[in-house]
Amino acid sequence: MTKRRMFLRMITASLLRRRSRMMIALLSIGIGATILAGLVTIYVDVPRQMGAQFRSYGANMLLLPKEGAALNRDQLAGVLETIPEDELIGATPYRYVRLDMTSRQQSFTAAGTDFSQVPKTSPYFSIEGAYPENTREVLVGKNIADNIGVKTGSTMELTYQPTDSGEQASPEESRIPNAELAGSAEGFGGGTVYVNVKLDDQAAIASLEIDAGTQTPEYGGRAAEDDNFLKQFIGKTLPLALGEDVDALSGATVTSEAVVQAVNTARKTEKAARPQTLNFTVTGILTTGGEEEDYVFLSLDDMKTLTGSEQLDVVELSVSASAEQLEAYAAAVSDEHDTVQARLVKRVTRSEASVLEKLTALVFLVTLVVLLLTMICVSTTMMAVVSERRREIGLRKALGASDGSIRAEFLGEGLFLGLLGGILGGILGFVFAQVVSVNVFGSSITFQPLLLPITMIVSMLIAALSCLLPIKRAVAIDPAIVLKGE
Amino acid sequence: MSLLELKNVSKIYGELKALDNVSLHVDQGEWVAIMGPSGSGKSTMMNIIGCMDKPTKGEVLLDGVDISKESSKNLTDIRRDKIGLIFQQFHMVNYLTAVENVMVSQYYHSMPDEQEALEALERVGLRERAKHLPSQLSGGEQQRVCVARALINHPELILADEPTGNLDEANENIVLDLFAQLHREGTTLIVVTHDPEVAEAAQRTIVLEHGRIAREVINENFGK
Repeated sequence: MTKRRMFLRMITASLLRRRSRMMIALLSIGIGATILAGLVTIYVDVPRQMGAQFRSYGANMLLLPKEGAALNRDQLAGVLETIPEDELIGATPYRYVRLDMTSRQQSFTAAGTDFSQVPKTSPYFSIEGAYPENTREVLVGKNIADNIGVKTGSTMELTYQPTDSGEQASPEESRIPNAELAGSAEGFGGGTVYVNVKLDDQAAIASLEIDAGTQTPEYGGRAAEDDNFLKQFIGKTLPLALGEDVDALSGATVTSEAVVQAVNTARKTEKAARPQTLNFTVTGILTTGGEEEDYVFLSLDDMKTLTGSEQLDVVELSVSASAEQLEAYAAAVSDEHDTVQARLVKRVTRSEASVLEKLTALVFLVTLVVLLLTMICVSTTMMAVVSERRREIGLRKALGASDGSIRAEFLGEGLFLGLLGGILGGILGFVFAQVVSVNVFGSSITFQPLLLPITMIVSMLIAALSCLLPIKRAVAIDPAIVLKGE
Repeated sequence: MSLLELKNVSKIYGELKALDNVSLHVDQGEWVAIMGPSGSGKSTMMNIIGCMDKPTKGEVLLDGVDISKESSKNLTDIRRDKIGLIFQQFHMVNYLTAVENVMVSQYYHSMPDEQEALEALERVGLRERAKHLPSQLSGGEQQRVCVARALINHPELILADEPTGNLDEANENIVLDLFAQLHREGTTLIVVTHDPEVAEAAQRTIVLEHGRIAREVINENFGK
């Protein structure tokens, strides 16, 4: 038998045959390792955990159209690709307009939105009833509901009234990339010709719709259906000149002129479209404690029907990422897209960062304290073990054990305990972290395979360190104690 | 041939002279008993011979080496190589089996060899108790294991401190028979005791009183 095998045999015998004593040492290391492993797991996981928690405070990033550009739903999907899918909790587009409720002579701010996303970016919205699921359904802010006395199930008739107020954009100002314009001009016989123009990202005409319903059907009325006439407009840049950019529809010069004029004078849609009225069913009353209680929420589809436009004013994003990461995403979005800029909701991101910092500091501190306590506990236990085994150590020295052998044996026992404690702690620590995570943060954590070897090494280190003083004691024992016939 | 020689050895603790100018000569293969009342300096003498303490004055030659001036590390080496110890309280490692306890001595000396350890147990008549823990052995059995442990490395000198102090008569006789056997094989034995019967088994008895050798008795009946 080699010396090493005898060494291992002695150590394992010491641990296995003196179970009750060693159990205490093992327990103290095991519990220490458990809490350490648990806290480290939580420590590593806190940003993710809290990131998810913070998302309940609402959006932390906004997408806005850049100065002199417009943002619509089609663009949104492309923009969102900049942000990793698993970090994007939700993206809620909003389009704000004033709607009238003629029957009550009231007017409210209405927000067109995507109701499937609202709970993700505004988890604090409290709904009495339900979110609308279909078109022609609205969610009504509590203040409005109280004012006009509507309840879940009531119907509301809402009218979009394009206002020609002084502040409206001029046709020139309206010709921005991706804009949706609407215009009108007097046609043949005093009737009005309406046009809806969509611009592409170069601000050239992407599509044109003509409503010439009041024009003589066989003549001017054909303008709306004649593909060849319509095709002339596509790709052209405003303003247009009849006869140069566009040829008149034969037999309908006046109507053609009116169309060109309507196109040339077209403005951003909400300021120039025709009044539209729709009937809505109230599906829920919204309570937030904030300004949202003064809004009516409806679907973007209904918003398009009312205003004829798919433009968005703002998109609220909820992104689960660190402050630095968010800054990076915001910068990337603004850089990569000509028409969209991203801004962080500083109020949310800053408080997140500060809370996170404090929480990690706290967990770190507790980890440190636990580490220290574990060392003290193990050290005390080993100290007791040494004094309990004074006679045995004396005997070993009397039999010729060098100081080095005594050190090696106790360190060996300590390391073995550390190893067992580490395995115990690594496994229990994960369970501990899981329980804490589920109970405190309400989400589970994934097992880090690296945790086990790290816990084993750390607890072996702690055990070794804790053994230093007891070993010093053991080495100092006088072998002569075995001789005195005590 | 001289194995152990104490020349004018004194051990002084403050005012107390535990050993006072003691000279002693032990030949290779001799069996010597050391007697004396408690406080006579038996333990001090044993500690010094056993390389666990150093005299204040004088020389101690063990196998030609003066151990009175050696460092404690060297003393450990000398003790391991030359001396086999047997104690009154047996002192076994309580979580190791009988054979493992014998192997501990081999482990510190050279190489553990289970077969050899078992043979040593065979010699003390405990082959079949090899896998028992000390708590499963009687006092006599434990002391026999300790004898096996003391002789396993073939020491020049076996030093026994009250080896039968905790044993009944039957076991005392077994241990003394083992000593006689070792003596016949040429091992030098020094047995510290206050039991006249144990002392009478030896060739020569040294009686200590107040740190001095009071008298020396040659056992005329030895071997008869």
